Amino acid sequence: MEHILIIGGGVGGSLAHDLTLRGYRVTLVERGELLSGTTGRHHGLLHSGGRYVFHDAETARECYEENRILRHIASEAIEPNGGLFIALTDEDLSHRDRFLEGCIAAGIPAAPLSPRQALAREPTLNPALLAAVRVPDAVMDAWRLAMAFFATARANGAVIRTFCEVTDLKMFGRQVAGVRVIDHRSGLSETIGADLVVNAAGPWSGRIAAMAGIGVPIQPGPGVMVAVRGRVTQAVVNRLHPAGEGDIIVPQRRLSVLGTTAWLADDPDQVTAPAEHVARLFALCAELVPAVAAMTPHAVWSASRPLLQSSPNQDPFAISRTFDCFDHAARDGIEGLVTLIGGKATTMRAMAEQTADLIVRKTGRDFACRTRETVLLPYRRYWRGDI
Amino acid sequence: MKIETTEKKPWRQIEFRIERFKPGRIDPPRFQSFRVAVDDQMSVLDGLEQIRLRQDAGLMYRHSCHHSACGTCACRINGVERLACTTRILSLNTETVVLEPLRGFPRLGDLVVEMTAFYRDIDPAWSLLTPAEPIHGAADPAEDPSLRLEACIECGCCVSSCPAAHRHAEFMGPAALAALHRQMAKVDAARQHDLLAAAASPRGERLCERALNCSRVCPTDVYPARHIADLRRRAKASGTPPSLK
Repeated sequence: MEHILIIGGGVGGSLAHDLTLRGYRVTLVERGELLSGTTGRHHGLLHSGGRYVFHDAETARECYEENRILRHIASEAIEPNGGLFIALTDEDLSHRDRFLEGCIAAGIPAAPLSPRQALAREPTLNPALLAAVRVPDAVMDAWRLAMAFFATARANGAVIRTFCEVTDLKMFGRQVAGVRVIDHRSGLSETIGADLVVNAAGPWSGRIAAMAGIGVPIQPGPGVMVAVRGRVTQAVVNRLHPAGEGDIIVPQRRLSVLGTTAWLADDPDQVTAPAEHVARLFALCAELVPAVAAMTPHAVWSASRPLLQSSPNQDPFAISRTFDCFDHAARDGIEGLVTLIGGKATTMRAMAEQTADLIVRKTGRDFACRTRETVLLPYRRYWRGDI
Repeated sequence: MKIETTEKKPWRQIEFRIERFKPGRIDPPRFQSFRVAVDDQMSVLDGLEQIRLRQDAGLMYRHSCHHSACGTCACRINGVERLACTTRILSLNTETVVLEPLRGFPRLGDLVVEMTAFYRDIDPAWSLLTPAEPIHGAADPAEDPSLRLEACIECGCCVSSCPAAHRHAEFMGPAALAALHRQMAKVDAARQHDLLAAAASPRGERLCERALNCSRVCPTDVYPARHIADLRRRAKASGTPPSLK
């Protein structure tokens, strides 16, 4: 059976799961800890798709479909408490009909609520709200949901190597035949041969592609998030408007996450969260839930979204959050290399399915995808593989 | 949030003294110092990220969520078990931040430890979800109660801080006993009895020395010692015979 090597321990986990179910031999390498890049570092929203109905109908549909699948295959890692989109101004209210129509078009169940109904459910909401719409948002444990993919992939035979950084691609002419890695534990470099290499390095995928002398249309789009202590609501609260800054509060465990800001960067290794972004998040999220104004940051962090580049100087909130996978044989004349980019944690299973379908075609196999119906193992099985 | 000024506070130079370990290379472990420019927002994890990205790409530590939801970045910070992500560097009020891995776990490299033993007595199938505390004034529909994830993020701080866990390798430890106690609330009487029997076994609550370090260091307020005390009380009350496990 072909040996597929995946670069990246984020959405690569769902791809490792898909490929092992289809019968491939799989090795995954990650430069640090699993999920230490983008996939583990988001606010935890399991999208209903509502956020995208205004400008990105394709992503909206993908999100709702995957929302339902993840609730089935990884239910234990999901707080299933729904979400609200709330209108605070006349301008917000003017978007409501288009929002409801967009939800219908994308197949997302959406129920209008009066301000009184919304406040009965969530009494901490801004009492001046003008309208609300209930959608099937949910909240995931970003680490545990994704670790369930890794646990299942590992139980099915995938070899997962952390702290193992790709330093170069092993090339024979225009054929990628494996990767050179440095194992940060042993300090040793080695070559891992593979029939096919998948670049699933998210916002870092440009660096991997450059090792083959080619480019990929990836645009790192960092954003800041802030966690405060206490669950201010039970449901996710979104501002009813086309996407923008500081328009979401995601309760999780006994915290609430305020999100997000966005800008475009060249370097995906974004380590600082600008202080003015934190102040803006507090100010804007306090419009949704006034109690937020008196709270202090429990944690402040940033993460790089893996945006698909369309044109320069684009609005980071307007870029499609869909995903794509490229066969570099067809695109650049480089054989043995596939790149998976774009997307978001909610659609990580679908990203894997589409990429694995491409790998099936490239390897001349006839294996169907089984990840829609295969319930994932508990994530703790990653460490307790013996049982 | 109060915004005092838009001007950035001056950056301070802080020394990070990190216990390095690479099997066969930096072995036995030794400390290495790094200097990091720090502002008043930065967490210890932000400092580690800066060192890895600018000074030593081989520095090993675990991290994922950066907001105390995943539990991966636990280590000993100036001698106390904490999460690197929610520990602000300047809140430590020291010129030197000393970082060591959790105690009592096999070391993989630098601050990374092997967590397999942590999960030995936590059944993978134990539920992660629990009813969310009601929000004051909310009409939570009874047929559709809100759920939240369990507070324990399985970071290992409690186990590292527990003197009994270091003295008795067989001790189930504070995290597993707390998880077991939480699971008891979600199962029927027969299963409760089995769980209580496990907690009352020679590897269970009786090995707890009531040092209470677990509750002191827990970053998500699980208070494992309270769960252990309740298990002890219930074991005594039910007269559960010790199992032979």
